[in-house]
Amino acid sequence: MIKVKDLKRCYGTGDTAVRALKGVSFEINKGEFVAIMGASGSGKTTLLRILALLDDATGGEYTIRGLKVSSLPEAERSYYRLTQVGYIFQDYALINEMSAAENVYLLSLMEGKSKKESYRTALEALEKVGLKGKHDRVPDELSGGEKQRVAIARAIAKKPDILFADEPCANLDTANSKQVLDVFKDLNEKYGQTIVMVTHEPWHIEYVDRVITFKDGSLLSDEKKVKEPGSVKD
Amino acid sequence: MINDIRVGALIAYCSVKRGNKKTLIFIVFVLSLIFMNLVFLPSMIGGLLGLFTGFMQDYPYGDIVIEPTGDNTYINNADNVLKKVRAVEGVRAATKRLDVGASINHKQKVVGVTITGMLPTEEYEISRYPYIISEGDFLSDLSRDEIIIGAMIAGAGFGSEIYDNLGEVRPGAFVDVTYSNGVKRTYKVKGIMEGTFEVVDLNALVHYKEIEDVYGLEGKEATSVVVRVKEQGTEAQIQDKIREAGVNEQIFTWADKSESLIRQAMQSMGAIDTMSKIVSLIVGAALVLIIIYINVLNRKKEIGILKAVGITPRSIVLSYAFLSTFYVSLGISAGLVLYLSLMLYFQANPVTFYETMEVRPVIDPVLLVQSVVTMLTLSVVAGILPAWSVSRESILKAIWGR
Repeated sequence: MIKVKDLKRCYGTGDTAVRALKGVSFEINKGEFVAIMGASGSGKTTLLRILALLDDATGGEYTIRGLKVSSLPEAERSYYRLTQVGYIFQDYALINEMSAAENVYLLSLMEGKSKKESYRTALEALEKVGLKGKHDRVPDELSGGEKQRVAIARAIAKKPDILFADEPCANLDTANSKQVLDVFKDLNEKYGQTIVMVTHEPWHIEYVDRVITFKDGSLLSDEKKVKEPGSVKD
Repeated sequence: MINDIRVGALIAYCSVKRGNKKTLIFIVFVLSLIFMNLVFLPSMIGGLLGLFTGFMQDYPYGDIVIEPTGDNTYINNADNVLKKVRAVEGVRAATKRLDVGASINHKQKVVGVTITGMLPTEEYEISRYPYIISEGDFLSDLSRDEIIIGAMIAGAGFGSEIYDNLGEVRPGAFVDVTYSNGVKRTYKVKGIMEGTFEVVDLNALVHYKEIEDVYGLEGKEATSVVVRVKEQGTEAQIQDKIREAGVNEQIFTWADKSESLIRQAMQSMGAIDTMSKIVSLIVGAALVLIIIYINVLNRKKEIGILKAVGITPRSIVLSYAFLSTFYVSLGISAGLVLYLSLMLYFQANPVTFYETMEVRPVIDPVLLVQSVVTMLTLSVVAGILPAWSVSRESILKAIWGR
């Protein structure tokens, strides 16, 4: 589904240039739940942003479902972000003046769906992440875990090919983190959602199928896990 | 594009619905003051203009005035002109007048004036002279040795302390008049007129026949023929009809006369008005720009997030255009309420100049529409520019500042 070949990202020029990615290559298959791990500055977030079309690579190429998305013009990249990619930010990144439902259905409206259909889709997505009945609450009235689940609902409402999550539990306590990871797990298992999650918490590995580890901008290891049924939810 | 509009409208709606209400009220209040500043001064100037032109119509010029051509002192066949004028459709009344220079002497005090010889009965239909007698009575057809004196020169009204005056002349007193040809006459003061207008209150009136006698005229001459029309606004058409009727003297409408007389004053006021408008617009534009710019800067990260999740830059820019249009629409509405309240107040309590001239502001619908359109256009531009600038930044820079 995702093919990354010799991907490079360099910030700045000359002596002060920082090589965040030094030519990484890997593939991610449909339906996989992948964790990208590594220390701070290892290049994992840079990789995620490039894959989600929030940033540009300075070398190499990558394709999503065979489409060389890195070379798309900005208008098409915007449309691609809207329809094919879901991105979950570390700090929720919700619009504070919008209710949970409005945060979600904004994207359906952008896609051209009717207001009624968009609203219905938003309620379904919120229900899917366990926020039924909280659709009219604004972010300030929600806990950290609930905010992150609204962000997940926003990302999955459009049924994206891939869900990218950048340290989604970084600002959450263990209980809220588990709630969020459970949602990811459900989406992956029930709906076959492909998920690529950046994390630095070792215990998150329990939830994923595969762990790609980065060090200093290079791929250090790529391990597939053999899961035991029910191993995650005790 | 429709999707952009729908999304832009939703973002703007949520921003207003759940944004800081105190900030909103403050913004609207300031914008309403800017709008009022834009329309209030021109309304006052309009009122002042209306007052001056009203005076011009009511006293020296009527709706249309006919004056001698070239260097001629008189219209030589004024009765014939009057006959032609009165036959023109749309003319309500017309009369002839004789204006001459003279000095009036009373108890060693001398004042130079213009004395107008008029036909008193006809003036009731032409001017307001018969209605502004503050003491005594107006002239009659038999008033051959009587005079009406303006309040300022009589020493009885406001302005007496500014101009030379005869020192408290009252009806019944006798004054000596020396005309510009040297002829002297003694008149009994029949009344004091107070029109709260210098052109009136610094003059004197006598019967038309009196001037005829003094200057040895033959009953046909006039320095002006003053015409009133049946319907205001038809002056220019009737001016043409009078020409077509064969009147070859100079024919002016009150607007022609007023324009030349008060053009300089109005040009100065117009310059002040224009400067005031430009300053108001610049301040208004700067304010809307600052408000939206601060709003955009505060929400730069939000704009980046919106872009990151796939909202188009056009939607984001449109949301700010809607937002600033909303602010300005509310500001204009509040400004209109303030403006109309002030208009009502000043209608009841007019601004007084020289203690006698009451200026009431005039509501000009064209000016209001112009101001509304100008402010709305400005708001859209001021709203779009900063949002457009930020929405063009890269997502990483907008969200994380790099």
